[in-house]
Amino acid sequence: MAAELTSTKLNPESHLILDQPLLRLPHELARRNFKTVQRAVEREKDYVLPALREAANASLSNRQTPDQTLAALDAMISRMQGLKRKMESLQEEEKKIQNQSRKRIQHLETLHQIPSLVDVKYDQWSRVRLDRLLVDHMLRSGYSDSAKQLAQERDIEDIVDLTVFTQCQRVVESLRRGETKEALQWCGENKAALKKSHHTLEFELRLQQYIEMVRTQDQSKKLEAILHARKYLTPNHESQNSEIMQAAGLLVFNQNTRAEPYKTLFSLDRWKFLADLFVKTHHELLSLPSQPLLHIALSAGLSALKTPLCHSAYTSSSSNSQSTSTSVCPICSTELNELARKMPYAHHSKSYVEADPIVLPNGRVYGKARLLDISRNLGAVEAGKVKDPTTGEVFDEEEMKKVYIM
Amino acid sequence: MEAVQKEHGRLLKRLKASQSIKHVQSTIEILQSARDTIHSDPNQAAVTLAKLQNPVKASFESINDTLKETHSGMNKYTKSLDKLFKDRPLPSTDHDVLSTQEPLINRAIAMHLLREGQFSVASTFLEEIAKQKSLEFVQSSSQSPEKAATLLEMDEEPSETTRQQFASMYYILHEMKENRNLQPAIEWSRDHRAALEARGSNLEFELCRLHAGIRSPRVSSLRPRYLREVQQLVGAMAFCPNMRGSPYASIFNNPSAWDDVAQFFTREFCSLLGLSADSPLYVAATAGAIALPTLLKLQSIMKAKRTEWTSENELPVEISLPPSYLFHSIFVCPVSKEQATDDNPPMMIPCGHVIAEESLRRLSKGNRFKCPYCPSESHPRDARKVFL
Repeated sequence: MAAELTSTKLNPESHLILDQPLLRLPHELARRNFKTVQRAVEREKDYVLPALREAANASLSNRQTPDQTLAALDAMISRMQGLKRKMESLQEEEKKIQNQSRKRIQHLETLHQIPSLVDVKYDQWSRVRLDRLLVDHMLRSGYSDSAKQLAQERDIEDIVDLTVFTQCQRVVESLRRGETKEALQWCGENKAALKKSHHTLEFELRLQQYIEMVRTQDQSKKLEAILHARKYLTPNHESQNSEIMQAAGLLVFNQNTRAEPYKTLFSLDRWKFLADLFVKTHHELLSLPSQPLLHIALSAGLSALKTPLCHSAYTSSSSNSQSTSTSVCPICSTELNELARKMPYAHHSKSYVEADPIVLPNGRVYGKARLLDISRNLGAVEAGKVKDPTTGEVFDEEEMKKVYIM
Repeated sequence: MEAVQKEHGRLLKRLKASQSIKHVQSTIEILQSARDTIHSDPNQAAVTLAKLQNPVKASFESINDTLKETHSGMNKYTKSLDKLFKDRPLPSTDHDVLSTQEPLINRAIAMHLLREGQFSVASTFLEEIAKQKSLEFVQSSSQSPEKAATLLEMDEEPSETTRQQFASMYYILHEMKENRNLQPAIEWSRDHRAALEARGSNLEFELCRLHAGIRSPRVSSLRPRYLREVQQLVGAMAFCPNMRGSPYASIFNNPSAWDDVAQFFTREFCSLLGLSADSPLYVAATAGAIALPTLLKLQSIMKAKRTEWTSENELPVEISLPPSYLFHSIFVCPVSKEQATDDNPPMMIPCGHVIAEESLRRLSKGNRFKCPYCPSESHPRDARKVFL
């Protein structure tokens, strides 16, 4: 697969790979919002219409006093008013989401007006993208304050998802503390979606509650545990049969047991497992990628930039911090060097060297014009001499030898 | 993208014109007026209630109709999104090498924030990392003391000195750009004169030259190296009151001179710290975004053909980046077509042609051999290693 060594072509459509969640997430939120509206309407309809029919029949057959009729109507009216309030707040929410989507679409659209990868505007756009990737990474790692601050300072709050991740983080923290309440509440809010794609999160949470009851070794608590299991665990017997059996077996052990699988079930590491499972389920439901976008971008970028010289034992002549006429390679720079160590380096099918290369007696290769230029700038070098900018050695100009690199 | 924009526009318009709440309101009104009728004349209850059935039902139906419309609008938008991102799933998560290197990534981010001048974000970030670390420390120390020990040893954060260095860089740049004050920069370059000179850097001179455009030149200490340029400056002083019309105008009235010097200063400052001038994180993330489409295509081809990379150390495909993303020279052996490495370095034959060491060994088998590119013959022991 031979390709050109360099290219400045910008293909906006394929360039948007990292930006999918930007549009997907608000849309997912809008859809959820819409489903809530639908359900609310459905619920009121199912109440009001039969109630109305009932009231009419009762009134026809004179089974109802006028006061009862009025009370029934009042109940209907107040329920409808409740529905209206609910719909109004949901509509506000939706407007917010859709305005955010609009801004995001505009942001992506600007990329289409940028002619090439070397345009200043691309640089600006790409910096915004990096800020976005950083915020995404910070949020996923639980550094919410940093994320918020960065988003504010860079004025990109509309194109990052602070609220969604902060809520997710709150549940994760509650799980790490050993509380199931917030996670279960989230499950309740997303019941339909969870059921549809066979997620086990709720089952695992209920199982944890059960384990905690058994852990107390208190007789009444154990009794409660059995009731809890009947209510929440056994309905899942088709998919989770073996876990239910294990849970039943757990009743005769205490938490100091060394017998597996009961030891694992009692282990406090299960809370971490639940936290991870929650994050995974949460991200899947909102079609968020499971790994930070920054990782995706970096692992591709580190490899694309890396050369065998970046981790070489010898100092590169073409790019090093000792010479002024070159800039330090980002992979050689201390920030990324260690990180890139295990990455594969970029593939090249053609050599790429400075124009008019010469070799010095010490084996170092430089572009002739650049070497002469550097030597002229170095005060200490006399006329007719050149100084190796990497090693500091001084040679006669005649010692430069032409080298052929094909 | 256009389709997405269009569908979303429609969605927004529909949202603004949404009638569903109005329908709910009218249902309430119908019920309310029925209630009032019954309240004023209880005898009409049966009739009123019977008359009420159909209108209420109808208004629920119209609520549902508007909801259906919204629903279909949303589906159309979903489809346009699917189309935009078709065949472009995010890369698989099979080998996310980076997730095991979290501390290194965080360190790179902290450095990036510092070099971008986001000092307050950087300090919040470092605080939060420290907080999480100590939390993990408490949790893990209760279980495995060994793990806790390694956690303590790992100190990946950029040191306080780095932070101070960047702070002073920003102070100098700020003075330079906002207040047109070169003094802090000149002082810095004087303090680092030895290091700068060893690099052959003429930063101090450039700063003084720009400075001279505003005030009298104080470049005499630099005279031996920049004799010609200093002479120019002294000549220019004669034109001091009328710089614009002088033959020296180009030295001083270059509007980009300030930006150039600022950029030059940043590069020199970072280089002395062993850092690249542009944020590596920015360069790498941008290069990644450019490389991703090619890599993803490759991933899907390899999955379809069920093949693996032949060389684990090297990407299997060439990625074209803009020229400014090439930092090192690259040597690909013209014989073996392999990139030179420390184990297989480039060797120059006496005629000046360069091939990789392995190719040299294979061609010569230890005896005199003919250069593959010219008629000259030589012995492999006369070949010399070169550094690119």
